[in-house]
Amino acid sequence: MALNYLASISHYIPELLVCFTMGALILIEATYGNDEKGSSKNMFYWGSMLGLLCALIYQVKGLGIEPTQIFTKSLVIDHFSGFAKIVMILSTAGVIYLSKISKDLYEGTKAEYTILAMGVLVGGMLLASANNMLLFYLGIETLSLLSYAMAALKKNDERSTEAGLKYVLYGGVTAGMMLFGMSHIFGVLGTINFSELMPMLTTLSTEQTAILIPSFLLFFVGIGYKISCVPFHMWSPDVYEGSPLPVTAFFSLVPKFAGIVAFARLTQVFFGGDVGVLKDSWLVLLSIVAALTMTVGNVSAIGQRSIKRMLAFSSISHAGVMMLGAIVLGKSGWTAILFYSVTYLFMTLVAFYVASFIQDHYGNDHIDRFSGLIKKHPAMAIAMAITMFSLAGLPPLSGFVAKFNILAAIIDKKFYVLAVITALNSVISLYYYMKVVRVMVLKDAESDEQIGGLGFVNQLVIGAYTLPVVLLGIFWQKLIALANGALLLIK
Amino acid sequence: MNAHSNLLSWILWMPMIGVLGVLLLPKTKETAIRVWSLINTVITLVLSGCLYMKFDNTVPGMQEMFTIKHSWISQFNIFYHLGIDGISLPMVLLTSLLFAICILSSWTVKKQVKGYFALLLMLQSTVYGVFLSMDFFLFYVYWEVMLIPMFFLIGIWGGENREYAAVKFFLYTFFGSILMLVGMVALYFVTGQGVDSFNILALSGGKFVNETVNIFGMALPFAKVFFVALFIGFAIKVPVFPFHTWLPHAHVQAPTAISVILAGVLLKMGTYGFLRIAFPIFPSASVYFADAIAWLGLINVIYGAFCAMAQTDVKKLVAYSSVSHMGFVMLGLAAMTVQGMNGAVLQMFNHGTSTAMMFLLIGILYERSHHRWIVRPDGTKGFGGLYTQLPKFSIVFIIAMFASMGLPGLSGFISEALIFLGIYNRFTTITVLAVIGLLLGAAYLLWMFKRMFFGEVIEENKSYTDMNAREIFYMVPLCIAVILFGIWPSPLLDMMKASVGKLVSLLATF
Repeated sequence: MALNYLASISHYIPELLVCFTMGALILIEATYGNDEKGSSKNMFYWGSMLGLLCALIYQVKGLGIEPTQIFTKSLVIDHFSGFAKIVMILSTAGVIYLSKISKDLYEGTKAEYTILAMGVLVGGMLLASANNMLLFYLGIETLSLLSYAMAALKKNDERSTEAGLKYVLYGGVTAGMMLFGMSHIFGVLGTINFSELMPMLTTLSTEQTAILIPSFLLFFVGIGYKISCVPFHMWSPDVYEGSPLPVTAFFSLVPKFAGIVAFARLTQVFFGGDVGVLKDSWLVLLSIVAALTMTVGNVSAIGQRSIKRMLAFSSISHAGVMMLGAIVLGKSGWTAILFYSVTYLFMTLVAFYVASFIQDHYGNDHIDRFSGLIKKHPAMAIAMAITMFSLAGLPPLSGFVAKFNILAAIIDKKFYVLAVITALNSVISLYYYMKVVRVMVLKDAESDEQIGGLGFVNQLVIGAYTLPVVLLGIFWQKLIALANGALLLIK
Repeated sequence: MNAHSNLLSWILWMPMIGVLGVLLLPKTKETAIRVWSLINTVITLVLSGCLYMKFDNTVPGMQEMFTIKHSWISQFNIFYHLGIDGISLPMVLLTSLLFAICILSSWTVKKQVKGYFALLLMLQSTVYGVFLSMDFFLFYVYWEVMLIPMFFLIGIWGGENREYAAVKFFLYTFFGSILMLVGMVALYFVTGQGVDSFNILALSGGKFVNETVNIFGMALPFAKVFFVALFIGFAIKVPVFPFHTWLPHAHVQAPTAISVILAGVLLKMGTYGFLRIAFPIFPSASVYFADAIAWLGLINVIYGAFCAMAQTDVKKLVAYSSVSHMGFVMLGLAAMTVQGMNGAVLQMFNHGTSTAMMFLLIGILYERSHHRWIVRPDGTKGFGGLYTQLPKFSIVFIIAMFASMGLPGLSGFISEALIFLGIYNRFTTITVLAVIGLLLGAAYLLWMFKRMFFGEVIEENKSYTDMNAREIFYMVPLCIAVILFGIWPSPLLDMMKASVGKLVSLLATF
């Protein structure tokens, strides 16, 4: 049932709030002259945080509302997208705070970062709710276009510019391929609306199926690129490395979650029913892609000396694990994805916060720079060690529970081989995560110099992010119940 | 609910209270940290003693009065479920005893005292967790958490190559356990996600004989496939050949107390896993693979003994002798007879005490000499004539060595004799071959003893002092255990008989 536009907008308040905040930030930025920016800075950050907080409140409130489709069925507002949006808003708030304290961004460009991040967030929220191919495409493009600019935020740094350029080129090509695939699907089925597509897929003639298989492949290219799964992952380590650190943190969170959520919805919409060969080919392809994504990401991470590159490769493998949740095509899979995204959010933030302090202090982010951190700054080292073990999936930390949920979901569907591959990948990942712990705890420091600049507030923030990493590993009952309630609506 | 119902929880969490206490004490108060840790482990030991006193030997299976069960994660039917039977009780007692002794033996640790004792106590708690958990998920969590304190204990306080050893130990065991995780989750779904899907007791009894699992289009028997997954997980811990390569590194690099815990308790977690999980849940597959397990056990016995014989480092020699002795446990398990299984559980306990003595003694010697060479790489003797120099030390060493060798009258003999009695009818060839392992064991131990303790006193050995009061104090309980259970093993055997009998009769039906 299509609602009227006014009613539609009432479901769209969080997105609008973010848009308004973005506009307000631009105004603040434009009002103050260059010299006054220092004094306006606090107002700027408080403004963005306030906007995000309001959006968050509305989003949380929205979880209680019955799932609906708005704007002539082009967007779906359900618990699944709502939960994902909450995670994205929290991620954005986390990285905006990081951008405030990081030295990797020039003083002058910090305002741009915040504005762009808000824009990407809107794109991500759109993508998470997209219910037709046009909005899906718009979501991806909003997300991407602003991301390109973010990657190149360090204007005077050659690598940052290169990262931006690389991102644009790859992004442009894959977006084109996806558009091509979409137009095929439209050509064959005559609609772009997901809800109308779904019933048609069950009654396809052989010829139509033959055309649609490559079309879906092309469609997958666009989304696969966004979540950087193999073989479309090559851009991500370079872009991650070239981008300023807060941007890298942002990229490994918001666009990735948006991509995974959209991907899960897409897979469910098209292949949730009994669509024969189309479904089989899609699932087999995805299984192989997910297995490769995990393995390639992990194996490549082993050799990295830069922590940012290591985290980039590891985030590829985590995306591979989350993809498994989509393959399951069921409630347990989506629950697992949502749980994973929440834990991954906290783990990533801790890792990037600590990496940021190390980089600001030493001028680079080689893993060797972490040596002896336990003596120099025990609190930071312990938070980092907990996070690394959690990312590797050791109990009783939240990363383990996240992996356990995914494993449980795929074993339930009897994908034993995939389960074993996932398990073995955990072992590989432990090796390189442990390397960071090893360097921090077992190696002697290069110098006795203390690491400054980590004030009480920042320690508190790191502590606040580390706490859920531990607590969600033990008391996960509530969160899993919440994620379980986030049912997917596909109509 | 009765007065004993929380005893297991107290035992499990008491060391964690100890950890909190250590963390609250300031770094500089090293003696206070040591004393507090000692008090804590003694309290745990007393609690374990109470457990033993209240334990009912006649009950096969879990003792109702101690069982604790609370819901933890209801969506997955995961419970905080503790229980104890005749197989886990000896392990709990061994753990309590060895940890108290290890705290005493660690008195000389000077490096980062606070961290050391906190991690040691944390390790103790996780070990209890493994031995007491009746929920597979809880078991798995403890099984894995144990790796974290071990990693740091070896990596920070270990010898020269500590990092390599710590990483290898960590990765190897993690590899094994993650396969176990897959098996565990598969079990959960095969049982239909009922209320007791992670309950080890509810899973046991051979419910999965007729299940199949589809892998690449082949319908394989579920029980066999996942028995192998669990087997690898446990075998790495034991360690069963060819998964043993982490052990010599970890042992040699670990500080004394950690070597003691590793050989005395942690290796037993592997064989305990067979007794508690792999065998009861997949009895048909266990019977099917019994021959293979026996042959692997034999390889352990012979191969471990030969490796031990080739060592010039005395700690490495004892480490390989553990590989050999754990082979006997595997043989006893493969027998699946009452004597064999009893022998295996008894050997788990007895090897725990005798090998702990060996490692403690080597640690005492190392504190004086700062090396462990029987023969140095340049061909000269590392030790000589210790017998005349260190008489008290030598006497304790002789007791430990003979117990480890399996001399009648000492504890090792009874367990090995029971194992041989148990397997003879089923695996005659293997029995005969395994006896060679005993001979080899005597050979390398006596050979080592001769070169270290007899002959001319070499110059630097003259400055060594004999055991001090603290060292004698913590060796005495182990000496008593080794001699007492060598002459009068019935307290131990009575404790385990009913539970082991239950398992054997289950296996006999397949």
